[in-house]
Amino acid sequence: MYRLLLTSLLLAVTPFSMVTAAQLPDTAPGYGKLGYPLPEIGSYALPSLGRAANGEIIDSRGQRQSLHDIFSDRYVLLAFIYSTCSDVNGCPLSSHVFYKIKSAMKRDAELADRLKMVSLSFDPENDTPEVMRLYSNNFRYAGKAGEWQFITTASQQQLQPILRAYNQVIQREVDSKGNPVVGFSHVLRVFLIDPDKAIRNIYSVDFLHHELIINDLKTLLRQETVQGRMSKTAVELDEPARLSKPGDDKQGYEEESYVTRSLDLESRRGEAADLLGIANSPPLGLPPIPVPADNPLTREKIELGRRLFFDRRLSLNDTFSCAMCHVPEQGFTSNELAMAVGIEGRSVRRNSPTVYNSAYASLLFHDGREESLEQQVWGPLLARNEMANPSVGYVLQKIRDIDDYDGRFEAAFDGRGVSMETLGMAIASYQRTLVSANSAFDRWRYGGDKQALSATARRGFDLFVGKAGCASCHRISDDHALFTDNDLHNTGIGYRESMGIVPEKQPILVAPGVVLEVDRAVIEQVGEPPPTDVGRYEVTQNPNDRWKYKTPSLRNVALTAPYMHNGSLGTLREVVDFYDRGGVSNELLDPLIRPLGLSETEKEDLVAFLQSLTGGNVDTLVADAFAAPVGDVGKGDPSWVHGTEVEVR
Amino acid sequence: MGRGRRILMLLLSAVLTLAVSWADSEELGGNFSLTDHNNRPFELHQLKGKLVLLFFGYTYCPDICPTELANLSAVLNALDDQAERVQGLFVSLDPGRDTPAVLHDYVRHFNRGLVGLAGSEEEVAQVARQYRVDYRRHEKEDGGYSIDHSVNLYLIDSQGALSAVVPYGLPPQHLLETVRGLLAEMADKDSPS
Repeated sequence: MYRLLLTSLLLAVTPFSMVTAAQLPDTAPGYGKLGYPLPEIGSYALPSLGRAANGEIIDSRGQRQSLHDIFSDRYVLLAFIYSTCSDVNGCPLSSHVFYKIKSAMKRDAELADRLKMVSLSFDPENDTPEVMRLYSNNFRYAGKAGEWQFITTASQQQLQPILRAYNQVIQREVDSKGNPVVGFSHVLRVFLIDPDKAIRNIYSVDFLHHELIINDLKTLLRQETVQGRMSKTAVELDEPARLSKPGDDKQGYEEESYVTRSLDLESRRGEAADLLGIANSPPLGLPPIPVPADNPLTREKIELGRRLFFDRRLSLNDTFSCAMCHVPEQGFTSNELAMAVGIEGRSVRRNSPTVYNSAYASLLFHDGREESLEQQVWGPLLARNEMANPSVGYVLQKIRDIDDYDGRFEAAFDGRGVSMETLGMAIASYQRTLVSANSAFDRWRYGGDKQALSATARRGFDLFVGKAGCASCHRISDDHALFTDNDLHNTGIGYRESMGIVPEKQPILVAPGVVLEVDRAVIEQVGEPPPTDVGRYEVTQNPNDRWKYKTPSLRNVALTAPYMHNGSLGTLREVVDFYDRGGVSNELLDPLIRPLGLSETEKEDLVAFLQSLTGGNVDTLVADAFAAPVGDVGKGDPSWVHGTEVEVR
Repeated sequence: MGRGRRILMLLLSAVLTLAVSWADSEELGGNFSLTDHNNRPFELHQLKGKLVLLFFGYTYCPDICPTELANLSAVLNALDDQAERVQGLFVSLDPGRDTPAVLHDYVRHFNRGLVGLAGSEEEVAQVARQYRVDYRRHEKEDGGYSIDHSVNLYLIDSQGALSAVVPYGLPPQHLLETVRGLLAEMADKDSPS
């Protein structure tokens, strides 16, 4: 009614042609009518997208509170705003949409009762509690129904952890000359958070519309009454590994309800960690790390090794660093490749193992052919299908020629320059610091926190050490757990591969979530023939060692898919299914592997247990990796193209 | 690239430090002196007893100011007989171009009741600081300039105190509701009972 009245008034009195925000070009859908039919309430799922972090804020009366206290036990819509924002598709859009919802609350008691709106300022210097109070004064006359709170923080110190936890990248805007202009640049995101503090939807500009939000809320409310509240522990699980996912996360992309979860590169900012400190006192659940007497850990060596690990110039054609197969945010392995791919797309015949907790490994490589990290380094550096350097001397000479390394080896190794030995020692020192534990499991088993592990995961643990027999090889001790016996076993995976026992059709992922079954014959026409792989036999020449591979640790296993030495199993559930079937029968099958007869629930319990092994410090280690310098060809570097040096970057 | 970002961070921290220093030192809102669109001295004090709707902008503003002024005008018109208890003010953030005469023609296009206010660079900057208005001149390629500015509407009660800040983006219905609510409250407070 008002709208009609106002529009006619406007037409009558304004000589200028009047435009409202809804009619301005390029305004977001949230200002107008929804351009598509909404799915029926309750007909779709809104899985948890992670945990809504807590933080310290100040309400509009100047009281310090925690963000979770503000959320109370209601569903919450959380928007990040600043009061001097003027981008029509930024903060004003969230205000507009919130206003629409506030209006709907007058008519809808359930909505008013269950949902709360919170606008949090990311400009604490200007948005004092008083400014926030003046904002909330807007709604003194809008009726009691529905709550919309305006909050701020005491300072950047309180604000920054909140922004980081919600992936909000805020920058002062600058013009082309670098002068600051009015406002901040930020990507609008509004979070729908459930009473258990799980994020259930994230609305970007194109999806921020009051009708969609209300539809989502009603869907959640309906499902809540059907299913009961979701398990808190399950939600908390994904919290420690916030950074351990691809920046462009396409999981669920094939579903209509897919909303982008892509991470802004800026949100994956690096933050150097005290790696030496971490290595010297490993997190709960791990023993002290073994360090060779001739290579004690020092900050200089760790720092140098970290620099080398991320240096693309360590490969023949200056493109390939260690970190490109051992990708920090992908569990220090490659989540997207069953088997690694080296320079120029050359196929590698095995899966990249994770670097996490490699400090404890006494056998390296899947066939256990190397005995120390110091020596292992040279494998990938020299393999023709990995970093492809022609010789040890070639690598050493190249590093001597790169200015970045001037004096660094000498400083780290008491005057010794780069050599086969010092290079290995430096990289090994960095890798050795990537120790990760203090998982939910560790807190439960070694920290005495009875609540740390969900009931499902506890049942999974009982199966792990009991009926399923996993712990025979993936060992758990009284005061620590390495989840490996540092030995090699034949599970039949290698046998199956060697014998060419493969299904006639193979699933091929052609787009996220879209899989086509392709005839094996077609693949063989275009693919490289699979190289032979007989496992441990290649090292010992003992026929009884055929198809034996090393037992990997299971720490962080939820982050290190795909699994097995050839990456042939994509999910933990597939791995559990594989062992439940008793592996693949062959004359040398390890006697410990036999059909397990697990029920559906038992399999789920085991998977839940495996998911509880994600270390509490993985974000710290990944953020540290993001902070590492990435060595790349620069001016003055030796160039493989010109044979002399690179002239222009 | 790393260097560029570092410079940006330095700039950012410089801006923030600056912001902190004045945000702390000055009270929010309050009286101010400018020149009205009839070239007469103006003080906010003069409007004691009225509800003031204060808006900042400039006449060369291509989109937001005309839209907001039209919305403001529509609200004033919709108030009917209560309109006389309300005063709309438009403070120009562009002392270089918006003389009282220019403002006179501009604001009266929207609503005869609106008053345009101009001042020197310093005077305008002072008012903007008081109300936490962020604005900056933006030079254009062709030699002209625009002014980036934040867009809020400030509601000032009959005693001259800042009563609410209406964020940009809320529909005119909301402003009308809030103004009516404030007027009713003022009537209760101001009448000797």
